[in-house]
Amino acid sequence: MINHMLSWILLLPTVGLGLLFLVPAGNVPLLRRISTVAALLPFLLSIGVFIAYDHTAGGFQLVEKIPWVVPFGISYHLGVDGINSLLILLLGIVSFCAVLISDPVKDRVKEYYILLLVTVIGAYGAFLSLDIFFFFFLHELAAVPVFLMIAIWGSDRKEHAAMKLTLYLASGATLALIGLIALYLASGLHTFDLIQIQQYLAVHPLPVASQVWIFPLIVIGFGITLTLWPFYTWAPEGYAAAPTSISMLHAGVLKKMGAYAIIRFALLLMPQGAHIWMPLVAVLAIVNIVFCGLVALTQRDLKYILGYSSCSHMGYILLGLACLNTIGLNGVVFLMFAHGIMAALAFALVGFVSRQTHTRDLDRLGGLIQRMPFIATCFMMAVLASAGVPGFANFPAEIMILLGSWGQYRILSICAVSGLVITAIYMLKAIRLGFHGDIKPQWSKLTDARTPLAKLPFVLLLAVLLLAGCWPSLILKHIDLSTKTIVEADHARPGPESTR
Amino acid sequence: MFPIIAWHLISLELLMTFVLVSLILAAIFLPKDTLDDWIGLLSFLALSGLIVFWSGQDHLSGMTFNGMFVMDSLAWFFKEIFLLAMAFVLVMVRQYSKSLGRRRNEFYLLLWLSLIGMCFIASSADFLLMFIALEILTISLYVMTAYLKSDKLSIEAGMKYLILGSLASGFFLYGMSLLYGAAHSTHFEAIQHFSATHSMTMMTLFALVLIFSTVGFKIAAVPFHMWVPDVYQGAPTPVTALLSVGSKAAGFVILIRLFLGVFAPWQSQLSLMLAIIAALTMTYGNLVAMSQTNIKRFMGYSSISHAGYMLMGAAAGTVLGVSGINFYLLGYLFTTMAAFLVIVVFSMATNSDEIQDYAGLSKRSGVLAFTLLMALVSLAGLPPLAGFFGKFILLMAVIDRGYLWLALVAGVNIVISLYYYLMIAKRIYVDLPRNASPIPVSPDMRLVLGAAVIGIVTIGIVQGPFLNAAMTAVKGMFLLHP
Repeated sequence: MINHMLSWILLLPTVGLGLLFLVPAGNVPLLRRISTVAALLPFLLSIGVFIAYDHTAGGFQLVEKIPWVVPFGISYHLGVDGINSLLILLLGIVSFCAVLISDPVKDRVKEYYILLLVTVIGAYGAFLSLDIFFFFFLHELAAVPVFLMIAIWGSDRKEHAAMKLTLYLASGATLALIGLIALYLASGLHTFDLIQIQQYLAVHPLPVASQVWIFPLIVIGFGITLTLWPFYTWAPEGYAAAPTSISMLHAGVLKKMGAYAIIRFALLLMPQGAHIWMPLVAVLAIVNIVFCGLVALTQRDLKYILGYSSCSHMGYILLGLACLNTIGLNGVVFLMFAHGIMAALAFALVGFVSRQTHTRDLDRLGGLIQRMPFIATCFMMAVLASAGVPGFANFPAEIMILLGSWGQYRILSICAVSGLVITAIYMLKAIRLGFHGDIKPQWSKLTDARTPLAKLPFVLLLAVLLLAGCWPSLILKHIDLSTKTIVEADHARPGPESTR
Repeated sequence: MFPIIAWHLISLELLMTFVLVSLILAAIFLPKDTLDDWIGLLSFLALSGLIVFWSGQDHLSGMTFNGMFVMDSLAWFFKEIFLLAMAFVLVMVRQYSKSLGRRRNEFYLLLWLSLIGMCFIASSADFLLMFIALEILTISLYVMTAYLKSDKLSIEAGMKYLILGSLASGFFLYGMSLLYGAAHSTHFEAIQHFSATHSMTMMTLFALVLIFSTVGFKIAAVPFHMWVPDVYQGAPTPVTALLSVGSKAAGFVILIRLFLGVFAPWQSQLSLMLAIIAALTMTYGNLVAMSQTNIKRFMGYSSISHAGYMLMGAAAGTVLGVSGINFYLLGYLFTTMAAFLVIVVFSMATNSDEIQDYAGLSKRSGVLAFTLLMALVSLAGLPPLAGFFGKFILLMAVIDRGYLWLALVAGVNIVISLYYYLMIAKRIYVDLPRNASPIPVSPDMRLVLGAAVIGIVTIGIVQGPFLNAAMTAVKGMFLLHP
């Protein structure tokens, strides 16, 4: 079992999915139990993978490879390095919590869990895959389930939001696919094996003329997933309309797949393209941070605030990517993890509140802390984390990105810091209007999370956030060698001039 | 002196003709009241037998009838597609029988005739045989399209198809005669020799355009697509399914044989024209499909756009591109048939082909809703279904050929198509039904729907064997230009 640990991560939830199909739709408790176990087991395995990964050795470990489509060099190829072993841990935590907080779903329960599990399996597969084709294949697996989940179990203008989100993401994916195919053809290796392509390109880099147009295809394509400005408008609307579990998964994990893909395929394989294009990305990143932050200031709906906030914080990830140095990239990976946990926690809390109040409008809420002390406290912590207060995981991550960018983009870094202040303003405003102050009479019947099981997802997410914030070296040691490999591989190569 | 004929090469066509004649005889002797069901059953049994038989014949290769008839890997592959398509159509006809009225045994005979026509098209190595085979297919389709004698739309469809179809046949003959004037032969080998040794002149270009217009008519490429929406809507649904898979595949086998085999030396001059037609076809089909309210008409426009995607493979003109067409057709076969099976069952139960009546289908029949969802998602080209890998190969082929713009146009189109396919998915899964009465689906129909879905998923996930079959079909092709 140890040898095929990564395959088991994919297989166990797939078995759960098969069981869900067999259970009659009326048997809700059994459906819930199966789904919970199907999310729990890969979560436990992902902890196992995190521990089993030897970060002193670096490189890809636990590799499994089976040829799949021989003429094109496509293979079922799994493996982890420091980066994706951390990201599947993130996915494990968030998906488990997303299943736990789905208890209140009463309508079409069977379909709900089936679609949720398909999304989760696709995400696990995409993060674990070392084959470019299968990365894309599994990354797109979530498209239809997410569309249906928003359109069926969502709120507000759910159909519009679902369609917008899906079309934006599909446009990005198609651009990225064209870029990836061009990359495959340009390498001339007839394989989608990431490791082989990487080793080959390290010695024979692609001509700069190809890198110059393939790089932006991939970065814009996956950048849309990462809410790169100006392609971000799908996210606030989509997250606001989505059911809580999908908001958590998408804002927490699926979105990060864009950054992951940019690291793996763009930075690693096309360093000269990166040198040419990344300054532009850095500027867009600042627009992301400041513009989306300012928009968040004007919002009155809790989920919209979180949605714009999440777009704004993706700006730090983009800025970190644009640094092209180890500390920046470490910050990026760390922030992907930290922000993923934070976003999942915040969306889960808002979901908990709005399920009882049926509104997320700050003007109509108020004083909720009196009825929901536990939830309000958790929300306060999430807000502090998001604003980059030391002690939470976001702080070391964002500080590393800023340190990384200071050398190259001094003015931009100063602008980026202002984003943290903006975050603090809108987040504290949300706390003040929503949770503090006098309680309105209509909220006197609200109840807090009472049972340990109801509290578990919030406690779990918060604990991880604090643990990573207080003990950052736990994660940094884990990812350091992997990010270093990517950055150093870049510097070791000849510059753009010498290959012309 | 009689030429030596290699009968085994033509065994499939012989067997099918034998089945056809036996069915005609059976129609004379069987009791009249149960005749239609008997013919349907016998047809299905015979076809199943032929599919099993043909699956084992992939080694056949050679020419016969003085080089008029060729049996190669490409012909084998396409005949397999025709047989599978016909199997689905027969199931549909059985479901649809209520609308076809009495004496529908003739309908089965026409289906067999069209199948024979398609198989001969795949094996033609001479323009004369190709023309005759094309006419056998098309004339039986004319009759079947207008089969609902009391339905105005069906008569209109038959008439339109007949007029435009005869025009296309006329173009084909004209192009053929011009080519004969240039190359002094109707045989493919001689014409390929001619195209390899001569450069393209105005006359040959004109001939090629005329011949392409016929192919474009068959595959429903812009600007030869005018007949599609009305005919798709008016024809009996099984015939629509046959048109959108069988007849389209027949068009593509002609396209591959002629434009990527016989005229391959001129491919570089034709490539840009094909690329532009591909871009126009997919864009037109997608844009117009968006506003359709009738599902058969909708499938018509959708089928135009898919012809556009497949034409990308022809524009690339490489082994990869042609394999892409083959693979795409295989996936398209299962996907489209799944959709039409649902349409037939739905229209028999509700008497409606309007898209708005599909609202809340998931509450009325889970099986139908799920099958249609899978078909739509596969048509949209999302993983893990068959449509994705087909588009993937075709995109790869055009980027490889250097048509990045065509890949980007296709990308835009994929997103547009995703919009309207998802609109229908939304309708069946999210909207509330106006009439919530459940739609019964018989167990054998469930089996066939299940088979179609399994086909879509299997081709989408285990792509290797199907890709190999698609590539082998090209690599072993008669007259493959190096």
